[in-house]
Amino acid sequence: MSSQPGHPPEGLFPEPTRRDVLRTSATAAATGMVVPAMVSAQQTQATAPSTGAMETLQGEVAVELNVNGKNMALKVEPRTTLLDALRNRANPPLTGAKLVCDRGNCGACTMIVDDKLVYACLQLAVDMRGKRIRTVEGLSSSEGASNTAQLSPLQQSFCEHDASMCGFCTSGFVMAITHCLERKPDASLDDIKSACAGNACRCGTQPHIFEAALAIAKGGAK
Amino acid sequence: MTYPSGPQDNAPKQSKTKKVKTTKVVNGIEQEVEIEVEDVAGPEWGPRAALKVLDKELIRVDAPVKVSGRAVYTHDVRVPGMAWARLLLAPQPATKITKLDFSACSKVPGYLGHVVIEAEETRWLGQPVAAVAGATSEAAEDALRAIVLEYEALPFVLDRDSALKPDAPKVSRRGNQSKPQTRGDEAKAKAAIEAAPHKASGTYSVPVVHHACLETHGAVVDWRGGEEATVYCSSQHTFGFAGDAAKTLDLKSSAVTGIVEHMGGGFGSKFGFGQEGDAAAKLSKLLQRPVHLMLTRKDEFLMGGNRSGSHLELAGGMDANGALVGFTARAHKQGGIGDGSLSGLPYIYKCAEAWTEVSGVRTNMDSSRAMRAPGHPQASFATESLLDELAYAAGLDLVAVRKANLEDKVWHRQLDRVAKEIGWFEHPHRTQPGNAKAELCTGIGFAISRWGGGGGPACEVEVAIERDGSVTSSVGSQDLGTGVRTYVAAIPAEELGLPLSAVVARIGSTRLGNANGSGGSVTTASLAPAVKDAAYNARRAFAEVLAPLLGCAAAEVQFADGGVQTSAPGGKRLTWKQACAALPEAGLRAKGVWAAHLQGNGIHGAQAAKVEVDTLTGRVRVLHMVCMQDVGLCLNRAATRSQINGGMVQALGYALLEERVVDTALGLQLNPCLEDYKLPHSLEIPKMTVILDDEDTRGVIGVSEAPIVPGGAAIANAIHNACGARIRSLPCTPDKVLIALGKVS
Repeated sequence: MSSQPGHPPEGLFPEPTRRDVLRTSATAAATGMVVPAMVSAQQTQATAPSTGAMETLQGEVAVELNVNGKNMALKVEPRTTLLDALRNRANPPLTGAKLVCDRGNCGACTMIVDDKLVYACLQLAVDMRGKRIRTVEGLSSSEGASNTAQLSPLQQSFCEHDASMCGFCTSGFVMAITHCLERKPDASLDDIKSACAGNACRCGTQPHIFEAALAIAKGGAK
Repeated sequence: MTYPSGPQDNAPKQSKTKKVKTTKVVNGIEQEVEIEVEDVAGPEWGPRAALKVLDKELIRVDAPVKVSGRAVYTHDVRVPGMAWARLLLAPQPATKITKLDFSACSKVPGYLGHVVIEAEETRWLGQPVAAVAGATSEAAEDALRAIVLEYEALPFVLDRDSALKPDAPKVSRRGNQSKPQTRGDEAKAKAAIEAAPHKASGTYSVPVVHHACLETHGAVVDWRGGEEATVYCSSQHTFGFAGDAAKTLDLKSSAVTGIVEHMGGGFGSKFGFGQEGDAAAKLSKLLQRPVHLMLTRKDEFLMGGNRSGSHLELAGGMDANGALVGFTARAHKQGGIGDGSLSGLPYIYKCAEAWTEVSGVRTNMDSSRAMRAPGHPQASFATESLLDELAYAAGLDLVAVRKANLEDKVWHRQLDRVAKEIGWFEHPHRTQPGNAKAELCTGIGFAISRWGGGGGPACEVEVAIERDGSVTSSVGSQDLGTGVRTYVAAIPAEELGLPLSAVVARIGSTRLGNANGSGGSVTTASLAPAVKDAAYNARRAFAEVLAPLLGCAAAEVQFADGGVQTSAPGGKRLTWKQACAALPEAGLRAKGVWAAHLQGNGIHGAQAAKVEVDTLTGRVRVLHMVCMQDVGLCLNRAATRSQINGGMVQALGYALLEERVVDTALGLQLNPCLEDYKLPHSLEIPKMTVILDDEDTRGVIGVSEAPIVPGGAAIANAIHNACGARIRSLPCTPDKVLIALGKVS
C-alpha cells in the first residue's frame, strides 16, 4: 500500500478538504476559485456587492470585511474560512470564536452574518465581503480590558448562572442564543434548546446555559 | 484504583480558641490581661453559617472574559513570526515505513520545515510519523499533503476477540494480554453463588469512549533563538511540560516558562507535553521561531486519549434479604496498546465471597488515558446491572437491595433522598420491571459512586496585600473549567473579610508557586488548604502591623465587612484602604502550604435516572437525573453544581450515545469526528437536580470524578425498569433496545 505524492492515504473515507472542493468547483484555474465577481485580480480591493458575474480568485486576496460594525482589511486565500480569517489573519486576531471541529459539527465558531446564524468554519472569507458579520467580541461594549467590558444581558446572565466551565464552547452558545432571543424575546425552554441544538459542550454546562437564557427570555417577555 | 470512602465526620467541630495574655491599658495603667482568641496554631474554615464568601453561589472571576470571547486559550495564542504546524499520523494500525519523502513540500509556498517523529515502524492507528510547519495554517495543511509516505501494512488487531486468538498478530513485545490479576477464592465464591436462592449472570461490555475535549491537545512554543522560551500548552499540569520543552530546546528548565492561562477541557487526557508538544518544540528549534501546533479534531480522536473499554463476565448470588452473598468476575480491559483501567469488583457493594480475575487485552490503537474516574464507570455499569438483575430475581425493591449491601449510612441517606426526588415511592414497578405493552414506558434506575478526593502537600501559594489596598492570590495551578481561579481569590477574600471582587487570582504560570497536576480530583484538597494557609498568614502578619494603630493586641484585630477593627467594644475601625496605607512600600506578602486538617477524603454519591423508552423505535429519552453528592466544605456552590451536572451529562453520553467505532478488517476508526461521535447536545439534556449533601462537615474534598460514575448504570437500569429490556452493552442504542425486547433479531 502506498500513497500518491501529495496525497497521503486518508483511509476508506477520505476527508474532503476545502482545497479539493475548490479544485473541483474551479473551472478557470487549478488552484483558483470562481466566485461572484468582486475581485478582478490578485490584491484587488473590493467591497461592492456582487454584480452577478463570476470571477476567478487565486493567491492572496485583499478583502475588506465588516466585523462588529467596523471595516477590517485582510489578506486571505480564496479557501480561507471566515473563522480562520478572523482567528489567524486579523490583527489583532479575533479568537472568541473557536476552531473545534472545522466542519460544522460543534457550533463553537458560531457567528451572525446578515442576521443569519452561521458556522464560520463553513463560510469562505471572500464570500463575506459586503456582509455584516457579528462575533462574540461585538456583543460587549468594550474591546479593551477584559473585566471592564460591559457585557450584554445574556452574557451577564451566563456569568450569574455559572453557564461556562472550560469556556471553549461558550462563545458559540452565546451567539446562538443571542440570535434566538433577538428574534423571539420571550423564547421558551424548547426554543432555547432548539437554538443551541447544534452547539457541543463537553463540560456539560447545558442545564445552567438554559437557566441563563430563560432568565433573560422572561425579562424580555415582561 | 480504589479509594477508601471514609465515613463523614458528623460531630460538631469545636471552635478552636485559646486564652492568651496581652497588655491592655486600663485607666492609663498598663495591665496584663488574659483574652480568648482564635487558636493561632493554624487556620480553620470556621463554622459554615459564619462564612460570607465560601459555600455561596459565586460568579466565577473568569466568567466575564469567557462569555465575551476574550479568554486566551493555547489555541488562541498568537505571537509575532509564529509558524503553524500539523502532524502526519500513521494511516494504518501497524506499518513498516518504507519511504518518507518531504521533497515535494519544498514546492509548497509557505512551507518552512519538518521533523520526523517515527521513521521505521508504527504500532497503533494514528501514531504520529512527522510534523510540518508553514507560514500560514493553509501552508501547513498543503505541506502535510505533500509528504509522501509509503509503507508496508503489517498485520494488526483492533478488537478483543481477534487479539486473544492464538495466532493473532502481536501488538507489542509484551504480548496481547497482560498477566491476569486475581483476588479472592474462586471455589468459595462459586459455591456461595450456587447455594444462594437467587442467581444471575451475564456478560457486560462497555465501549472505548473519548474525552473529546473541545480544545484539542497542543502547544505554542515561543522560542526565537534566545536564552529563554515561553511554552503555552493545553495541559492539566502547568508544571508538567516546561522541563520537557527545555530539554528539546536545549535550554535550562528554569529558562522556560510554562503557561496555562485558560484551557478548554482535559478530563484526564492532558498530562505532560505529549508527542504533539514535543514536535512543536522540535520545529521551533529547527526554525528558530515560535510554532503553533494544535491537533485537528480527527487527530484528537485518534491520538488524544480515550477511556478503556471492558468486557466483563459476571455472576452473583443473593439471599432472601437482598444480601449479595457470592460474586465472580472475569474481566478484560481494552486500553489499546496500554492496559486500561478497571476499579475493583463488585463496585462498592460488599460481598462475603467475591472472586475476580482482571487482565488487559491489547490492540493496535492508542493507549487509553486517565479519564474522569478511570475504571469506575465501567465497574459501576456491570455491578449495578447485575445487582438489579438479582434484585428482580428476588422480587426486592431496588433501593432496599442497595442499602442491604452498604454499611456506610451516608449512601443510605443519599439513596433515600434521590429516590424521593425522582418519584420512586410513587413509581408503579419497584420490584419487577415494567412490560413493553405500552408504546412509551417510563422507568427509574439507581447507582452509586465513591472517590477519594483528598489532597496532599504540593502547592505553594502567595497572598500579597499592597499599600493601595489591592490583594493578589498567586499560585501556578491551572483551571480546567472547574473553578480553581475563583476559589484562589475567594478563600483570601473570606479570610480578610473582603468581597470576592477585591482579590485578584493569578494562576497558570510556572513563574508562580508550585502546584500539582489536576487529576483524580486532587486539586481542590491540595490547593485550597494552601490558599487558606497563605491568606491566614497574611491576615496574621497584617494584624501585627495594625495592632498598634488600633491600640489593641494583634490577636484582637478583626477583619470583617471590608475593614478592620478591634474586638474590644467601642474600638477603632479602619476601612480596608486606610488599613493598607499603614503597610510599607513593598506591601505584605505571605506564603502558604498544605495543611491536612483543612481537607477530607472519601466522598459518596447516589444518582437516579428516569427514562422514557419508545418500544416501537427503541429510542430512549432521559427525563430526569438526580444526584446527591457529599463534597466536604463546598467552596462555590454554583461551580460545584456545574461540576456535578457535567458528570451526569457525560454519563448520559456514556449510557446512550458514545462509542469509538472501528472497522476491524480495514483498520480504521469510522467516527473520528463530532458528527459521528455523538456527544449529548441540548435536545438530549433532561431535567437535572443536584443535591449537595450538607450534612458533610468535613474540610474541602475534590468532586470532579465521582459524579460521572453512576449515571451510565442508572440509565441502563432505568431502561430495564421501564420495559424489561436488559441491555448489557453500552451504549444503549435503539437497535439494542429493540433486540432486548425481542422485536428484531
